[in-house]
Amino acid sequence: MPREIFQRELNHLVEEVVELGQEVESCLGTMAEALEKHDDETARQELGIDSRYKERGVEIDEECMILQARQAPVASDLRLIYTVQAVTNHLVRAGTLCEHICRAIVETAGCDRDPDLEATLSEMAHAARNLFREGLDIFENRDVDRARDLEAADDKIDLFYSEAMNLAVNPGKGEAGDPEWRVRAALTVHYLERIADHGVDIGRRTVFLVTGERMESAMSQYRNRQIEGYDE
Amino acid sequence: MDRRSVNEEGLTLSEISRERPEAGPETIERGDVSSGQGDSALGMKIENLSAFYGSFKAVTDVNIDLRANKVTALIGPSGCGKSTFIRCLNRMHEVITGARAEGCVKLGEQDIYGKGVDPVRIRRRIGMVFQKPNPFSKSIYENVAWGARINGYKGDMDELVERSLRQAALWDEVKDRLKQSGMGLSGGQQQRLVIARTLAVEPEVILMDEPASALDPVSTQKIEDTMAELKKRYTVVIVTHNMQQAARISDYTGFFYIENMGDPGRLWEFDETSKMFSAPERKETEDYVTGRFG
Repeated sequence: MPREIFQRELNHLVEEVVELGQEVESCLGTMAEALEKHDDETARQELGIDSRYKERGVEIDEECMILQARQAPVASDLRLIYTVQAVTNHLVRAGTLCEHICRAIVETAGCDRDPDLEATLSEMAHAARNLFREGLDIFENRDVDRARDLEAADDKIDLFYSEAMNLAVNPGKGEAGDPEWRVRAALTVHYLERIADHGVDIGRRTVFLVTGERMESAMSQYRNRQIEGYDE
Repeated sequence: MDRRSVNEEGLTLSEISRERPEAGPETIERGDVSSGQGDSALGMKIENLSAFYGSFKAVTDVNIDLRANKVTALIGPSGCGKSTFIRCLNRMHEVITGARAEGCVKLGEQDIYGKGVDPVRIRRRIGMVFQKPNPFSKSIYENVAWGARINGYKGDMDELVERSLRQAALWDEVKDRLKQSGMGLSGGQQQRLVIARTLAVEPEVILMDEPASALDPVSTQKIEDTMAELKKRYTVVIVTHNMQQAARISDYTGFFYIENMGDPGRLWEFDETSKMFSAPERKETEDYVTGRFG
């Protein structure tokens, strides 16, 4: 096949992104487990991990720049490099947010906690991780159809967000937990929602990678096709 | 004289005279060369155009709108009919013995293949620049003035020559040696001289068949910069094998392709250049622009 070397370089680039994604996803798993089990020792394992993700992100970014300079990619090659850069950015940011949450777990280990809010946080953390993992898997397998379902899954995260924020603002009597923990819990809710958003956008970018269309446009056309089919 | 080789180098005056039809309706000219023209050019509309060499059909059923004041790039593998097609756009194709075109090619509202239409006048309105620079062995000044002179230009020739050379981005490099031979210029300068010569007769459309393929990167860049300026006043069509050049300079791109060996070339995909080089619709286009072709 023509451009074999270039194709190998592209494949290698994707492998690196997937590998970074798996590491971030693993970090999210550790964070969710630590939240669920109030395990600050487990959370401590991930402290400082974000600097490594950022370093990897810079490396991938540089590879993308060199490939663009040397290979002048167009069409699907260009979309792939563009997508790789965007996805890498999402991975690094999600990794950083995950580290923030782990730090919050460690730093509030001795605090009193609101059990209701804590349970919601734990559930939301697992949901966010699942959504993020789904986004990553969609990217790895170029599964555009599943990308369309991510939007619906994100609605669930939004419900968790509302519920958790409501609990943070209106705590039950006698079970509010320490103020510091409550503030960190509210921030964690926000971080988890952002992590899920990163996962959703990885899926959106995959739609662009495969179809060349923005998710919003692709969704619109998809819906129109369904309506046309129904009319028939 | 070999008609094909003449075609490569442009027609001579005597040949132009021979090609004139006995009579025909005069076409609407772009202003008057003596008064200069406005900025708005005419576009071209091509419908069901097929081109033949004898019984061999080289290009089939091309439908395309070449929009006014835009650069349209034609790309595709060798032998797919790009150059044949572009030559049909100013009736240069038919000067080859046995060659003919079928279909409709409109410049504005006028069918250039219409009955009685003078192909020489068409070629004045739709100029062509070839891959190999073909200046005359005359002075730089005369190279530019020639076309206007044989068309009976009565205005200020000095002004026309300067204006044409400026439009071709060559004036600053040659203004002090206008009487020197055009053959003494570099390849890139010669190509811009030929562009200036084309502009001097004030065409509507400029066709360029791989105009920079024999030039170094600096000269190529100057030609490309020139084209960006030219489209403000003219409709430009360029055949190029340089993907990046097509991506850099054109507003629209047409991909020509031959599906099976021996088939005629077709316009396989046509769209805005930004679309063609980011998300083409057809796999063959994708394979070609990404270099996976073949």
